[in-house]
Amino acid sequence: MAIAAAVRTSVARVPSCALWGLEAALVTVEVDVANGLPAFSVVGLPDAAVSEARERVRAAVRNSGYEFPLRRVVANLAPAERRKEGSGFDLAIALGVLRATGQLVNDPAALCLGELALDGGVRPVRGVMPRVRGAIGAGVVDVICAEENAAEAAAAGACAVGVATLREAVAHISGEARRAPVDVPPPAQAPRTPVDLADISGHEMPKRALEIAAAGGHSLLLVGPPGTGKTLLARALPGILPPLDPDEAVVASAVHSVAGLVDPLRPLLAARPFRAPHHTASHLALVGGGSPPRPGEVSLAHTGALFLDELPEFSRHVLDTLREPLEEGSITLSRAAAAATYPARVTLVAAMNPCPCGHAGDPVTACTCLPDAIERYHARLSGPLMDRIDLRVHVPRLAYEDLRDEGRERSAVVRERVLAARGRMRARLIGTSRRTNAELTVAEVRTHCRLDDDASALAHDAMRTRSLSARGVHRVLRVARTLADLAGAERIRGDDLALALVLRGAS
Amino acid sequence: MIALAPGDARYPSRLRDLPHPPDPLFVDGDLAAFDATAIAIVGTRRMSGYGERVARELAIACAEAGVVVVSGLAQGIDTAAHRGALDGRGRTIAVLGESIPLFVATVRGRRRPLVPRIRASGALASEYAAPLSARGWMFARRNATIAALASAVVVVEAPATSGALITAQEARALGRRVYAVPGPLGSAASIGTNALIADGLATALVSADQLLRGSRFAAVRVAPRADPLLDALRDGALGVDELARRLRTAPTLVAARAARLIVRGEVIALPDGRLRRP
Repeated sequence: MAIAAAVRTSVARVPSCALWGLEAALVTVEVDVANGLPAFSVVGLPDAAVSEARERVRAAVRNSGYEFPLRRVVANLAPAERRKEGSGFDLAIALGVLRATGQLVNDPAALCLGELALDGGVRPVRGVMPRVRGAIGAGVVDVICAEENAAEAAAAGACAVGVATLREAVAHISGEARRAPVDVPPPAQAPRTPVDLADISGHEMPKRALEIAAAGGHSLLLVGPPGTGKTLLARALPGILPPLDPDEAVVASAVHSVAGLVDPLRPLLAARPFRAPHHTASHLALVGGGSPPRPGEVSLAHTGALFLDELPEFSRHVLDTLREPLEEGSITLSRAAAAATYPARVTLVAAMNPCPCGHAGDPVTACTCLPDAIERYHARLSGPLMDRIDLRVHVPRLAYEDLRDEGRERSAVVRERVLAARGRMRARLIGTSRRTNAELTVAEVRTHCRLDDDASALAHDAMRTRSLSARGVHRVLRVARTLADLAGAERIRGDDLALALVLRGAS
Repeated sequence: MIALAPGDARYPSRLRDLPHPPDPLFVDGDLAAFDATAIAIVGTRRMSGYGERVARELAIACAEAGVVVVSGLAQGIDTAAHRGALDGRGRTIAVLGESIPLFVATVRGRRRPLVPRIRASGALASEYAAPLSARGWMFARRNATIAALASAVVVVEAPATSGALITAQEARALGRRVYAVPGPLGSAASIGTNALIADGLATALVSADQLLRGSRFAAVRVAPRADPLLDALRDGALGVDELARRLRTAPTLVAARAARLIVRGEVIALPDGRLRRP
């Protein structure tokens, strides 16, 4: 009888998917059951979690009422040359074992993703959305995964079936009990905007700067004494950011999926993320890392805003690691085992006190800092990072007469202007993956940032008196372009350039 | 750097008024600066925008009248005075409270670029030789040297306990004229100077003219600024919103005007988003 079984069995193949960063690739799990001493090995560059799959698969198969073969079992994750990580291959390996031993009568055609519990249950895994997206690109249509992951897979565009146990997966594939694919989930509820601009008195320039940052994606630094509303202003930013485009939502949600931060029922983000890491954050937390590399705050904020409160309190080393993602719009984390690339196109908003005691320039409370101490405080921020800040604005302590109620604009009104400006930027950048003026290349700055006579005279003077460096001029022109877009002007006007110059500050 | 003993013919003669003249006095720079008429401009390290402006304007007026500005190259008022003298193309002497090589090796920040400029147009002086780290009493002795080198001492800003008050006391003991710049009531940086005036220990200084006339020099007037924006920035840096409030106009108009002044170099945009005069 044992010989008869050996003749009947063959190599089973089950499709699955591996993930490096957001890059997914189809992996075929091949399982061979052959005569020999009882053994179970997983080959194909598995990491520790994948190797441990042997124990989970053996127990899950047995506890689901199937027989685990007392023979030589080899599972190969092909292609074998790239390292695979995580527990997402458990389900595919178990189905491969069952298929190779004839306990499953059909070949599984669907992409199988899921971790197994020892009792045969199927558990959710991280990163289902980017994996399914990648697999769809490779021609896969159906996905079998844990019930908790099914919505994510459906949101990525697959015909997704959620299963709670290995038995249910077998029953679905063999046709005994077919399960219906889950519906595409609605996007997550847009979070209620916590702060409306109309709730903030005075602060006209800071509000204007927020609007410019929201429209053009320019980085913003708010400087002012404690308690003047810097954090409140930053928190008002999500309320004026434009809504997520569908393709942006998928990528942003995929990053959250890799980090395991999505709502299982509503995995698609509805609003642009606003991430505010504490100043004790390590560089791993901020830009990502670890082995395998996980996305950091700068990637979780992709398409949205990254808010760094108390900027000089962040360690200088941590801030310096932000330079590359801010410049490139993505971050590549290279480790010995693997390299991962995550998107990181964020609007940086930072806040800081003007000096260590916080009261420099404050008419109410006298500053107690020595001039050199203030200088050292500013020197904590490295030049290259400060050079990437387009908008610097002072948030002063308000006098009583500034606390008026009339004439304050609601966030919704400002958002309309931001949307219109983004539409103009989008039309200009059609055919590229870039959307905002902050991402204009130097060549595009030359073509799109045309100045009227007044502005050219001012630009000419600025260059002549060297109050602007060659690199600074491009950053100022991008901001001026956003100002003109907000006003609906074709050319950059003198006042647009003037405001951009003042907001740029010392470089 | 040379060392001058009190017996040396090149030794600054005014220092011989001191009960214990520095022996020796180390000088790095131009010895001729010690022969010209000199006025000391001193004050607190924790200055206000008002103090910075007054120290600078007085120093510029002295420089334009050919008077040497003596100070201690501490942070704050001293630095503003030295820089004003240098920007006014005048001469200035910095009397240090520690050895010259040690100071030059360790100074950082805004004072560092001043060292070569002071050396070129005036002199650094100190009575301390060895790499002896600075102590409080060394600065008190230094203040007496400053008072002795000048024909008059101006205290621009000083809180209730300030080294600048020691300089004023030493100056009185040496028979030098002592001036104090009156400041706003309630400002911590002006408590000491206002008290000097109230106690009759110093003459209230109300203009650069008064100072230079007292020194028997031609009156020099600093031309008043016509631009209201520049005028609003007289007493220190302000943000655009604060400027707009003071000028009773819209922030966008302030920004438009400020940009043109930045381009002309008449206004500097600070890294914290505020604007100030150079």
